[in-house]
Amino acid sequence: MSGRKLIVSALVLALVQIGFLGWIIAGRAAILRSGKEVLLKVEPVDPRDLLRGDYVALGYDISRIPTRLIANIPAGQTRSDDTPITVRLSKGVDGYWQASAAWLGTAPGAAPADQADIAGHISSGWDLTPGTTVTVDYGIERFYLPEGEGVPIQNDMRVRPFGIRVALNGRGQAQIKALMDGDKTLFEEPLY
Amino acid sequence: MASYSTRVRSDIARWVEAGLIDASTGQVLARDVEANQRASLSFGSILAMMAALLFGAAILIFVAANWEAIPRLVRVIVLFAVILAGYVGGAVAKTRDHAAIGEALWIIAAAAFGGSMALIGQMYHLSGDEASALLVWGAGTTLAAVALRSNPLTIAAVGIADAWMVLKGFDYFGRHDLPHLFLLMAAVLFAVSFWTRSQPARHLILLSLIFYLVLLAVDDASLTVAIPLVVGSAALFAIAVAAPGPVDRIVQLGGRLPLHALIGFLTGIAIIQFQLAGESAHIAAFTAASVVAIIGIVAALVLAGRESRGLRWLAYAGFAFELAMIYVVTLQSMLDTAGFFLAAAVMLGILALIIIRVEKRMKATDQKGVAA
Repeated sequence: MSGRKLIVSALVLALVQIGFLGWIIAGRAAILRSGKEVLLKVEPVDPRDLLRGDYVALGYDISRIPTRLIANIPAGQTRSDDTPITVRLSKGVDGYWQASAAWLGTAPGAAPADQADIAGHISSGWDLTPGTTVTVDYGIERFYLPEGEGVPIQNDMRVRPFGIRVALNGRGQAQIKALMDGDKTLFEEPLY
Repeated sequence: MASYSTRVRSDIARWVEAGLIDASTGQVLARDVEANQRASLSFGSILAMMAALLFGAAILIFVAANWEAIPRLVRVIVLFAVILAGYVGGAVAKTRDHAAIGEALWIIAAAAFGGSMALIGQMYHLSGDEASALLVWGAGTTLAAVALRSNPLTIAAVGIADAWMVLKGFDYFGRHDLPHLFLLMAAVLFAVSFWTRSQPARHLILLSLIFYLVLLAVDDASLTVAIPLVVGSAALFAIAVAAPGPVDRIVQLGGRLPLHALIGFLTGIAIIQFQLAGESAHIAAFTAASVVAIIGIVAALVLAGRESRGLRWLAYAGFAFELAMIYVVTLQSMLDTAGFFLAAAVMLGILALIIIRVEKRMKATDQKGVAA
């Protein structure tokens, strides 16, 4: 490979990689800027050890969805596939948003103005028979903290209700906006 | 490294000018020097690569520390600058005959790409699994290896693919889906390694494939994985020994394909033996597998032992493993501790005798070959 050609391909390569990373950032910032805001109640996932390295593992009350809420389970199916799921949220009296309906795959129609859809994922093998719950991942199960600040927050989380403000785009993609200790905002995320 | 190849190239140019060799021969020689200069690693280039790896690790740990003193937008821009400077600066160094520095800078740039993804995940609290991030990192590094035709970047891409496989394979929750995508990654990287002239990457891919099959066998269906592995490895060995020249021209593994085939063969046999060892009903099948193993090891020594010292030592290790395995499964229950020591002494003695005899014969034939 001649010298000039090598330098040009290195330049193109660097721009492609940087462009790709920039595209991810732009997508996330767009959700933060213009997404619909909902408040979700945090439930400790593992009371012994929430802190993993540099982030706190988060579970939500909407992380477990009762199968009776899922409207379109095919007749006769008792075990879940590895599949996307859409959960419709509506605001409860305490300000936290709760699951009111769910569909495997996408929702049949857009959410009404006072509700919002969040896109999640369930893994294969969950029991789908009535009376059970399935665990849903929304991609917002972590909150990264500056080094050393994890332990006090983890301790508080065990005794007080915490919340996460989340922004949702039209396709239901969720983006964490702020960590709330009751009514108090602990960390608010800038766009970039 | 660079200075040697530069000197030879200027020598070749002088010889062509003086009419000692014709221009086409000169070109062939120059190309050969260029193709083989990577193979010889100088102390300096090793140090440069180690420095690059340390620098890359520093970037990743710096991101993990989530240090608030530097605004994160600044951190992003710094990492982007490292990517740009690393790739372009490496290319400039390479064209100025500082190949080792160039490759080291490229490795730093690839690490910065991975670090940027970790930083973005942290900025936006993304909880998508690490495995998919590794997948993107590996794809980016493969792209870089192709674009820059770089041997170290190819090895790095194989390493990232391996990390992905291990993470996925040992994933506590997602144990159901095995990383079958690895086969595709291995095939793509194997093809890439010819373009980037990366023989070490090909070796690493073959070893990783064997490891992948072990994962598969541990997961379930041991025998359906192990038996094809044994048969396939034996066939590969036979082909590699029967036509060493043509085969190595295709796979370009420096004549070490038989070594990989023997590793595959021994691994497959070991999986079969572990599977059969537990149950007394299978003792006949276990014995048959052990006999196949010993025959295979002896055949490997006879057919290819002379050419490769590495293969000989692998065969000895395999033989020692077989002795231990057969002992543990068949005799363990009958002997007490003293018996174990006696058995170990006898086995080591047998092993030593065999190794000494084989090595002596190899040496004798070697010398005869030299004298003739």
